[in-house]
Amino acid sequence: MNERSQIHDNHIPSRLMRESLVDRDVIATTQAPVTRILPNLNVIQIGGRIMDRGAALLPLLEEIVANQPNHMQVVAVGAGARTRHLFAVGIDLGLPTGALATLSAKDAAQNAYMVSCLLAKHGFVYLEAPFIVQLLPAILAAARGAVFNGVPPYDLWEHPPAIGRIPPHRADSGAYLLAEVFGARRMIFLKDVDGLYTEDPSAEAGKAEFLPRISVADLRARNLTTLPIDRILLDLMGNAKLCKEIQIVNGLKPGSLTRALAGEAVGTTIYAN
Amino acid sequence: MSNLEAGAPALPLLQQLLQRSLSDPGMLRATEGHGDYAILPNANVVKIGGQSIMDRGKAAVYPLIDEIVANLPRHKMILGTGAGTRARHIYSLAIELGLPIGVLTVLGTAVAWQNAQMLHYLLAKHGIPFIEPEGFSILPHYMAASGAVICQGMPPYKLWQENPVVGRIPPNRTDTGCYLISEVFGARKMIFVKDEDGLYTADPKKDASAKHIGRISLDELVALDLGDLIVERAVLDLMRTARHMHEIQFVNGLKPGQLTRALAGEPVGTVIYRERQGSTDE
Repeated sequence: MNERSQIHDNHIPSRLMRESLVDRDVIATTQAPVTRILPNLNVIQIGGRIMDRGAALLPLLEEIVANQPNHMQVVAVGAGARTRHLFAVGIDLGLPTGALATLSAKDAAQNAYMVSCLLAKHGFVYLEAPFIVQLLPAILAAARGAVFNGVPPYDLWEHPPAIGRIPPHRADSGAYLLAEVFGARRMIFLKDVDGLYTEDPSAEAGKAEFLPRISVADLRARNLTTLPIDRILLDLMGNAKLCKEIQIVNGLKPGSLTRALAGEAVGTTIYAN
Repeated sequence: MSNLEAGAPALPLLQQLLQRSLSDPGMLRATEGHGDYAILPNANVVKIGGQSIMDRGKAAVYPLIDEIVANLPRHKMILGTGAGTRARHIYSLAIELGLPIGVLTVLGTAVAWQNAQMLHYLLAKHGIPFIEPEGFSILPHYMAASGAVICQGMPPYKLWQENPVVGRIPPNRTDTGCYLISEVFGARKMIFVKDEDGLYTADPKKDASAKHIGRISLDELVALDLGDLIVERAVLDLMRTARHMHEIQFVNGLKPGQLTRALAGEPVGTVIYRERQGSTDE
């Protein structure tokens, strides 16, 4: 079967020339340090549930603006109740996960667009994914900050999940992956809870124990029923090269973001081992 | 929440989605069993290899083009392209420069795009268009009008590519991108056109004792624990959770007729299949 005619010489000389990029031994040779493209960047994510609260967002935006002179921030925004409705309709229609992901990204885009309008007078611009790829460093040099869609541009190419039909890479994953690829200083999630609890605090108020700092491995081992972040984020963090720590703080409590940006241990920190 | 688990009458899906966390496995299970609609059940996704086909030039590409054109009257095709040696070159450079996985993905996508454009020039006179990921909503029209479309095989993850467990090569590349197109559309077939007759027990280009495998299940394949494979490992992972595409086929594009036979449903090359239907529905 190993016919000579099957080998060709149209290669550019390189370390990976002729190699199978599926070969474990070849892949192992590519292990090497990664540089930080934007080491001063702080990626801030506003969860969809905060967006659903309307005017509760405004003090948070003021806090972002107040911190921008000291901390370069880009703001990812998540999808909320409208996406839950869309999932219900889409699932009922039998649409695949990739279609649900494509549709859901528009909900987060609407939220991000509203945030960018409210921050426009402070020099923040709204960037679609192609412009983040090409323009983010230039925008940050020229403008005060940027707002983007937290849902990653996986669209029709979203992975079918192990259980059910909900897209696994949602607005937490997209914000985190951007922090990882740029080698950002911090990844801060602004949620409507103080951080991570052993039980869902909205359902089990008495029993829930607060977890201020926990490793990805410990968190996995606890096998919690609910998490305030996309569950797949634990997998992504397990393979992190640069962004090995994320912080979840309460975006409805004034001062939480400021303290997190200053490096204080507010909320919950999850770290990769 | 516990009353939902305990068998109390389940709330309508919308009420559950509005009240429960999407990280809750019980919530996710409630989204099962609503049926899976196949969007383009007549489409065949055909991936043309980069290093294996495109880099060889006309000796490999021209006969394959003829075979694709000959099949147009009978089979609708979404043609995706791989990257190949230029991707290997730029990955090597970018890894040395310390660039992250998302940047490598942007770079590799450009190579697959070049190959797709070349294929497009060669098929243009047959009315077959090239479409970007953003243009996929018009794909059904082009398929109906021309019988086929061409796209670059990389998924549009760009900077949002996830890190692999080991090393620095983007884990979701053109095999994965093409496979996910076949899955999301509920396509008829996913055929990978490479330069070998399918799967071997070792790389037949390097090991003369490598044995051909005609048909193998995912579990059997994983149990073989091969150091090298004919397909990206991500595709095998995705096949386990897929709703539609539970079988993929690999044919030798250097042997005229293999693609035609695969499109006709014949077991040429290698078929990898998933044993059971439905990940959690049963």
